[in-house]
Amino acid sequence: MKLSGRMRHLLGAALVAMPLVALITSIAGAVPIFSRKYQTSCSTCHYAFPQLNAFGKAFQNNGWRYPGGDANFRKDEPTSLGSEAYKQVWPNAIWPSDIPGGAPVAVHAAGTVYMPMNQPDSVAKSSMVFPEHVQVFYAGTLGETFSFFGEVELQDNGAGGIDVGCPFRLQWNRHTNFNVVVGSLHFDPTPGDFSLIPSDINVSALASRNGWSAAGEMPGIGLWGAGNGPGGRGGWKYTAGMVQGQGMSPVGADKDFYARATYKVGGLGEIGGTEGAASKTSAFYQDNSATVGGYVYSGTVAGAVYSQREHLDAYAGTANVWYQSAILDATVMSMSSKIDGLADRKSLAWYAQGQYVIYPWLIGLLRYESTVLDTGAPSSDPNSETVTTLVPAVVSMVRANVKVTLEYRRPLSQYDARKTTEEHLLLRLNFAL
Amino acid sequence: MKRLLSGFILGTVALLLAGAACAGTITGKVTIPHARTLADVVVYVEAAPGTYPAPKTHALMDQKNLAFNPHVLPVVAGTTVDFLNSDQVLHNVFTPDKCANKFNLGTWPKGEKRSVTFDKTGCSPVLLCNVHPEMEGFVIVLQNPFAGVTDKTGLYTIADVPEGKYTIKVWNRKFLDVTSTVTVPKTGEAKCDVVLK
Repeated sequence: MKLSGRMRHLLGAALVAMPLVALITSIAGAVPIFSRKYQTSCSTCHYAFPQLNAFGKAFQNNGWRYPGGDANFRKDEPTSLGSEAYKQVWPNAIWPSDIPGGAPVAVHAAGTVYMPMNQPDSVAKSSMVFPEHVQVFYAGTLGETFSFFGEVELQDNGAGGIDVGCPFRLQWNRHTNFNVVVGSLHFDPTPGDFSLIPSDINVSALASRNGWSAAGEMPGIGLWGAGNGPGGRGGWKYTAGMVQGQGMSPVGADKDFYARATYKVGGLGEIGGTEGAASKTSAFYQDNSATVGGYVYSGTVAGAVYSQREHLDAYAGTANVWYQSAILDATVMSMSSKIDGLADRKSLAWYAQGQYVIYPWLIGLLRYESTVLDTGAPSSDPNSETVTTLVPAVVSMVRANVKVTLEYRRPLSQYDARKTTEEHLLLRLNFAL
Repeated sequence: MKRLLSGFILGTVALLLAGAACAGTITGKVTIPHARTLADVVVYVEAAPGTYPAPKTHALMDQKNLAFNPHVLPVVAGTTVDFLNSDQVLHNVFTPDKCANKFNLGTWPKGEKRSVTFDKTGCSPVLLCNVHPEMEGFVIVLQNPFAGVTDKTGLYTIADVPEGKYTIKVWNRKFLDVTSTVTVPKTGEAKCDVVLK
């Protein structure tokens, strides 16, 4: 479909104004494949897709398997790649396994109405992009110890074209405490990686001088594991990995490293189970608990902005509390950037967000963001200014697999300078099947 | 002494056989055109003479493999039903139905039970799980114990029904309830086939 020049201009402006998102791989993880596999509702695992509830995290931490015995809950019949008895024959045979019995595929689509504010009369007051992106997911388990999760994503790039991405992860699930993952890895410090609303979180979107940010994914290899805490409640999770590097040069000679660890007190065990879990609380979106975490990323970014390499280190602390129908969540990240011949730069970004389930199908959200690009710059440098933003939003789960979101992004600091490019209303429709 | 004992045993057996011989069986088939399954339809005697106290033994409804089992449970008014969690995941039982006081039992771990007494005849509350919205079960509260639940082929049996003429009712979750009549003989079988539309 060819777009008129005016429409292309508007879409281009809209995409520049919207927070940068390196494709949307880490945003939409709703997978009806599992809904069909277990004949269960989306809300078994999702607070409001793609955001996971406590059980969804436990499911993920079991290598996308039901805690306590996946075979008891699985409703499809997998296709055997070898009888169980071949375990006795090994090493004189290939170790037996199985693959999903049906096609483990699902589709997610999203459309957006973007309404920038403070535009001149010559610019349209809204732009509709339907669909804005379409994802085809494929995911599941392979035998007892492998699992996979992949996507083919098509996104309207606002310039009359379609961007295509195909991230993929293969995991060896040796034990809930120890897993190896290869493929497209997330390294976002914010909890859960899946944001409830379209607007990217400032901590994730904070860009280094050569263009690195914690949003998106990179090819790499990682380790991760999780376990329950005392009494089967709460628990711990770690993840660490080595990724290719996010430079603009063809091959990042230096690899980047990251690590993240969290500890949860109270609530459902990180790997599930029912021990000690009797409660009057029964709603799928509740999980009274508190979690704290730490994060570190160290890497080298070859430049398109600066020809010299940029060495960066990022440190973050996270905390979230779930209580009854509310979730409070905050992350602070410090990023230090070193480029030979230039002054070092230290950035600081943090946010605090509250969500409240008014009804199971209606959620209110309010986020406050603060970013300083260069905490060491003189006050005359614009990079030393604190940039603050408020994002109120409402999410409606029209159905378990149909979501409508209305968000408003309001610059607080430097309002006059930012209002044209940043202030907007955004209406998004998501559905998955 | 041996003769007295033999006489007593024979007399007792005779009495027992006589009691059993005064009850018939209602059998039949429920047909639902174009239905994918004919299971879980409750066929029951609407009102039987006499009073039928609830059994002391609790009835059981299990939550296993993300399903209520049995899917439909007919009980006599006043029966206490134990809800057991047999899964290694949390389950919940609640009902939105006023006739069962909209109870919500919270969540409980594997191996534990929570109980509810159903005492309103004619109440058939739907049972839901707040953690797994696709789960659904029913308790059908009846005046008497003479009820049967159809299998996948639509067949049902109601045993030990005293001789007499009765109104038969059919409960199911999708179609309108149906009424029929049947005459149960002193012994033997009475047939009652039903078609739901």
